[in-house]
Amino acid sequence: MEPFLPQEVIVERGSEESPIFRNLRKAFPQVPFTLVERPEWAAEAQGGPVDSMSRGKRRLWLTRHRGDFLKKCPGSEGQVCCNYFVVNFASNCPMDCSYCYLQDYLADNPALKVFSNVDDLIAEADRLLSRHRKFLFRIGTGEITDSLALEPYIGFCSEVIPFFAEQPNCLLELKTKSDRVESLLGFDPKGRVVVSWSMNPQRVIEKDEHQTASFDERLGAAYRCQEAGYKVGFHFDPMVEYPGWEEDYREMVEKIFAVIDSRRIAWLSMGVLRQTPGLKRIMRERFPSTQLLSGEQVLCPDGKMRYFQPLRVGMYRKMLGWIRRASPTVFVYLCMESREVWEQVFGFAPSCEKELGNQLTGVLSF
Amino acid sequence: MTEPAQAALFELVRELKMGENHFRDIVDWIEEISLRDGMEVHEILSRDSISKISSDPRLGRSDKLKRVKEELRRLRFPRLARLEQEIQERIRLLKLGPEIQISVPPGLEGGVLMVQLKSASYPGLKGLVEELGRLVEREPLKEIFDFLGGERV
Repeated sequence: MEPFLPQEVIVERGSEESPIFRNLRKAFPQVPFTLVERPEWAAEAQGGPVDSMSRGKRRLWLTRHRGDFLKKCPGSEGQVCCNYFVVNFASNCPMDCSYCYLQDYLADNPALKVFSNVDDLIAEADRLLSRHRKFLFRIGTGEITDSLALEPYIGFCSEVIPFFAEQPNCLLELKTKSDRVESLLGFDPKGRVVVSWSMNPQRVIEKDEHQTASFDERLGAAYRCQEAGYKVGFHFDPMVEYPGWEEDYREMVEKIFAVIDSRRIAWLSMGVLRQTPGLKRIMRERFPSTQLLSGEQVLCPDGKMRYFQPLRVGMYRKMLGWIRRASPTVFVYLCMESREVWEQVFGFAPSCEKELGNQLTGVLSF
Repeated sequence: MTEPAQAALFELVRELKMGENHFRDIVDWIEEISLRDGMEVHEILSRDSISKISSDPRLGRSDKLKRVKEELRRLRFPRLARLEQEIQERIRLLKLGPEIQISVPPGLEGGVLMVQLKSASYPGLKGLVEELGRLVEREPLKEIFDFLGGERV
């Protein structure tokens, strides 16, 4: 995986006291740092209309987060939800996947924002978790950024893992397409941190997951985390359908289970490629030669385009078969799918989001 | 888009006088077929199955537009179109009377079979329910569920 090197770092005054700033200084001695009073104004003034997404990914902006860090995952309207909380320590991502929804969601974002006030994040999580000790929470950091891609440069996880490892009612999920796990390996996660990888066959990674780690690098990182005591997870999401996909995905599943101890797997999820019509337009502009948009996708009731239902149900059933052959008991769920699809794939659907959430937090006990 | 591609599209628009939404659908589908199959836009539009429709003097403008769109949709979504056709064939094999309608959702999204019974009387309804009971044992109906469940894509 290529190292990340921003063209500049913009720092909001006050953020230079944070450990994140010190880590950035150490990581990028050759990059110009600019201290500003009003970061919004400064960054927007330098934005431009020509592929501002690509430019924004190379301009790192260290700023304080205003408002709540913890939010309920919005899920997708009418789909079975897994009752997940997200905490955003950064906004935008140094990776550049063709299908990434941030291209639409953060379309006008002039920079890759990293939040400096990690102490506020920990204080907020502490208030929530200690006020509701009888509830089990799943909290993830990988919604609007990759959880680990920036880790060697900002050291965020080193700040928060010791806190989350002590929480009896919370599972922290670090979701990534990177292999940047070195700083995690020295901590004892105490069974409360899951490191999970979004997995695709190398063919998909090469074509559409730009600036990410290769399949082998991701699997190697997962093995190192498992050996260090972490539970691991794998998200087969987005699954892409193309001639020969079956062989590639079956081989991928077999490779994972040949390396990873299935008893250390917290969960696996499956979800097919999906995008809004707005994202589709952006993908065409930014990645005109991608074959992703040539699949037989139709508009679903939640406003997202997916492979037509019998096609994707067939894909899920095949994947589930390969997974079950390797491990009959590992926990598998679907991401952003309807009750009907759940029933066609598994023969049942969770009765409510609480049920699925409880099944997922059940890994706290193993 | 190349000049021959633009010319072919312009000719189609001129012939069919389509509105903006139809135009967008058609351009999207043609571009995606072109990318997938490595064919030029004008090569797609000059295929017999398209050119025969657009040059057929017996068809009115709206019929031509409808059929051209159907044909392009079939080219763009070949497996979906085939599956929809297979399902329609199974429904035809059931030889339903006008009081029982069986349908599937557009694009097969939802994965459900919809059954509609129409009756003006209690004995009529009872008869239809009995007929439905016989229908569910028939092979074509079971096959429709295989198609919807992804077993025959």
